[in-house]
Amino acid sequence: MLLVGATMTACSGGEDDAAQVSAPKAPATIPELTTDPVTLSFVWFEWPPAQALEKFANEEYKKVRPNATIKVNTVPNANWHDAMFTQFAARKTDFDIAILDSQHIGEAVTNGNILDLTDFVKKNIDVNAYDPYLLAAYGQFPQAETGKRDENASLYGLPLLGDTWTMIYRKDLIGDQPPQTWDEMISAAQKCQTDHPGVSGLAFHQANGSDAAAVTYNTVNGVYGGNLWDAKAKKIEGVLNDAAGQEAMDVLVNKMKPLTAKGSGNWFIDEVNAAVAQGKACIAFNWIAASGGLLDPKQSTLGKSKEEILGKLGFATLPKQKTDLVPLGGMGMHVSAYSPAANQAEALNFMKWFEQADVQKKWAAAGGVPSRTDAIQSPEFLNAGPFNQVYADSVPRMRDMWNVPQYARLVDIENTGVNAALNGAKKPSDALNDIAREQQAVLDSSGKKGGGGL
Amino acid sequence: MAVSVNEAVPASPVRDRTPPARRIGGGGRGRSVLEIALLTVLAVVMLFPVLWMIETSIKENRDVYAVPAKFVDFQVTLAHYRDVFVDPGGGRSALSVAFLNSVLVAGVSTVLATLLGVPAAWAYSRFALKAKKDQLFFILSTRFMPPVVVVIPIFLMYRQVGLIDTPLGLILIYTAFNLPFTIWMIKGFVDEVPAEYEDAAMLDGYTRLQAFRKFTLPLLVPGIAATAVFALIFSWNEFVFAIFLTSSDDVRTAPPAIAGLIGGTTVDWGLVAASSVVFALPVLVFAYLVRRHLVAGVTLGAVRR
Amino acid sequence: MSDAVPLTTDRPGQVASVTPPARGRSRRLSDRKLAVAFIAPALLLLLAMSVFPLLWALYLSFTDYSATRGGSGSFVWFENYTAVLTSAQVHLRAVTTLIYVVGAVVLQTVLGFSIAYLISRRTHGRGLLTTLFLIPMMLSPVVVGLFWRFMLDAQFGVVNSMLGSLGLEQVEWLTRQRMALASLIMVDTWQWTPFIMLIALAGLTAVPKYLYEAASIDRASEWFRFRTITLPLVWPLLLIAVLFRAIEAFRLFDLVYILTSGGPGVSTETLSFHVYKVAFLGFNTGTASAYGILMVLVVIVLTQLYLRYLNKLKED
Repeated sequence: MLLVGATMTACSGGEDDAAQVSAPKAPATIPELTTDPVTLSFVWFEWPPAQALEKFANEEYKKVRPNATIKVNTVPNANWHDAMFTQFAARKTDFDIAILDSQHIGEAVTNGNILDLTDFVKKNIDVNAYDPYLLAAYGQFPQAETGKRDENASLYGLPLLGDTWTMIYRKDLIGDQPPQTWDEMISAAQKCQTDHPGVSGLAFHQANGSDAAAVTYNTVNGVYGGNLWDAKAKKIEGVLNDAAGQEAMDVLVNKMKPLTAKGSGNWFIDEVNAAVAQGKACIAFNWIAASGGLLDPKQSTLGKSKEEILGKLGFATLPKQKTDLVPLGGMGMHVSAYSPAANQAEALNFMKWFEQADVQKKWAAAGGVPSRTDAIQSPEFLNAGPFNQVYADSVPRMRDMWNVPQYARLVDIENTGVNAALNGAKKPSDALNDIAREQQAVLDSSGKKGGGGL
Repeated sequence: MAVSVNEAVPASPVRDRTPPARRIGGGGRGRSVLEIALLTVLAVVMLFPVLWMIETSIKENRDVYAVPAKFVDFQVTLAHYRDVFVDPGGGRSALSVAFLNSVLVAGVSTVLATLLGVPAAWAYSRFALKAKKDQLFFILSTRFMPPVVVVIPIFLMYRQVGLIDTPLGLILIYTAFNLPFTIWMIKGFVDEVPAEYEDAAMLDGYTRLQAFRKFTLPLLVPGIAATAVFALIFSWNEFVFAIFLTSSDDVRTAPPAIAGLIGGTTVDWGLVAASSVVFALPVLVFAYLVRRHLVAGVTLGAVRR
Repeated sequence: MSDAVPLTTDRPGQVASVTPPARGRSRRLSDRKLAVAFIAPALLLLLAMSVFPLLWALYLSFTDYSATRGGSGSFVWFENYTAVLTSAQVHLRAVTTLIYVVGAVVLQTVLGFSIAYLISRRTHGRGLLTTLFLIPMMLSPVVVGLFWRFMLDAQFGVVNSMLGSLGLEQVEWLTRQRMALASLIMVDTWQWTPFIMLIALAGLTAVPKYLYEAASIDRASEWFRFRTITLPLVWPLLLIAVLFRAIEAFRLFDLVYILTSGGPGVSTETLSFHVYKVAFLGFNTGTASAYGILMVLVVIVLTQLYLRYLNKLKED
């Protein structure tokens, strides 16, 4: 009895369908806020921006809302998706604002886990202050075409932290001028590695956890003119593994991988940072928001002060080849559908406050990466870190992955496949074909009964 | 009261037992030296990771990554141990909160498992029950289910009753997890206390319950303590349930908190090592206290000596 | 302690001897009530926390229910089971798990027994030695996984650093297909060899001395003594220890999660790890439940067969 009852309650969400969207709507105007002490909780993964956000929000938001306290809960990066979505599945969240990766939105919206902010945004947010794609990437579902925003589509989130890859290069080893094309970059790395024994040419993400190896392949795929999928026809097979896709895989595995350190096949953010800090890499790629630690002399062998380190390290936008695409990183704020009404109101108020021009500039100065164009172009941001100019220059060049409910499985397939190719467990072309075939099967299987997820 | 449980349970191999064979014939000095050398090598291999962990915990981060590795010539710092307990920004660190949570969850679940397990073990030992062997085997078998499998329905169940991300949820699952072990282990201790004591007491007019409480229970105390320590170690080290059933800083226990130290933008291996040492110390101390019962302890009471 | 090493599992003699004689009807009744009152709470908790979830999982395994999508849990009967059993992905993980279980258990048994044998032949320092050897087993898998990952890092790890000082090539411990699985086996062996050692030592120290003395009078060769006296007495215990290790190894999740997270590619993904992915990445709860139930079945059936074999061994 209990069994049946429990399942019935769980089923009350109704039939699921990728096209059918069941997210509850947030009010257009912020409801009256409580005057009692209130704690606004976020969930994010463990990294410096999480601490920066908590500190910044408590200092600044308290000025307008003295009774509010901000708490940023953090989970291990590998557990980030699971931790949020198991709570969503529990229909009870210990957070009011989920900081979802841009590709998580589809899953959360389809399951009705986060509030529909369309009306709220119309009334409270100046959408013209943003690059339209940034607004779309962190909030829109269904996903926008790369570089655009569909003004009629619903919005489910607002930008919190922008991000993209930066190229980190050793000025003292390869010269002050960063390579401009992917080919140049590879030959510079090659030369540097030959000239400096003990230093590898390249360092980049190759791990099979999170979205590490997948982002790496997607970046090379983009630069070499490939496509991840045909979003309209929902086709991956034949698109991802077309000639451009295969060329990208070939470049990654046969030209770039040989220039990396031995055993770097499980590297992610922290290992790449460690390699740079230990002076073991000529050119490295990493997320901008994760690069702050490189300037810390306590972690680095490159210099005893920030200035000394910056004498050796340069930061540049990614080289171009056939296209100039760069990966879109960063995350938006999304309001949990299961949070109490008072906290949802507070969350909306916080978001409205956070997206103001002056607050965005202060966030930039506090180490955040803003999304409003005026804040991105502000001296507060551009002077806050040597890589921030890279971000500003990269904004018009960004491309995201698939934002569909099956994202977690798609990215896992790609991660493990690319990781296998990078580590010699599969031939590159086989790996890419397998990825395309398995991903296509996931997209096609949404209507199938039984055995899903294998 | 001639027999104490301590004597009833023979001393473990760990201490003072006469050797079985004193190299009767054969062997000789050369072989003995060879054996000692072999043992030493094995001991070094087994203990090196532990030593390296301790060393890493007192190194500065710059030296942690040094290649070739620095074995002796590094600066000693206790900063990592401070970081385990104190937040860099002042106040208690998230790790120390996790340690407290671990103490709470492991402690309460152990007490519960003991309270439920001791009476059951005594009843299983003393009474002729229907299908007793099957019941006991069933109890033990619940312990052998893969945690990843159990966690799915437990998750759905907890979702219904609001136990996800609560200390109580972890306490309940750990209690259920430790109960089979507790029953089997303590039943072994009860088996070794002659039932005649209770029979004699009942002839003197005590009820069976009183006889249990007054005569058997005191004899069981060392055994119960040992069992509880093992239950404590199991729940202290447990990771799978903890990572899937908890998410917030206020509830998270130490194993997922320590695992959370990697995967950021830089890994503070010194901190990982220091927190691992702090986390492992109580277990090692406790394990030393129950060294007599280790064999039974690690085999859920299935193998006794 | 000369009475070999009894296993409580089948020790009917002792259980029977401590069961009190029946003394009339009223006494029996109150005993029964007492027994029920004492056992019921424990059994109830196990029913609620182990049996009920398992039954629930069994029910879900026949549906296409998903914990997040909240979709209809409509019945698909055995489709999940056939899908799991016929999936090439699952077969791949089964082979990986098998290699891992067999590799780890064999290695641990050989090493653990050897260490126990060496220790049992020492007169001095046995207590200290045993205690030191046991440390790895007491550590949390999280600590073990994290630390070995650190030590096995190809660039900065101490293991490669030492190999380097010996003039040897660096080894890619965690990023080559075969090597990664070997590393996983190695780390598990490091942690759990003490377990086998401890149990083997219990058996070895229980071998009665007079047997050896008799044998030495017969001038039996050492190998002969080992084969005919030591091994037969320790064998049943070792087999129990192996059973425990095999079950634990079959369930392995945490070490994979931390050490390799299944990589490179999926070459170190065990069945448990795959179930986790099915259950928590795609939230295909129905499929994951069927997968899990099948795993439980495998454990139960193999354990039963093994125990039967053990009992037969004892009878002979």
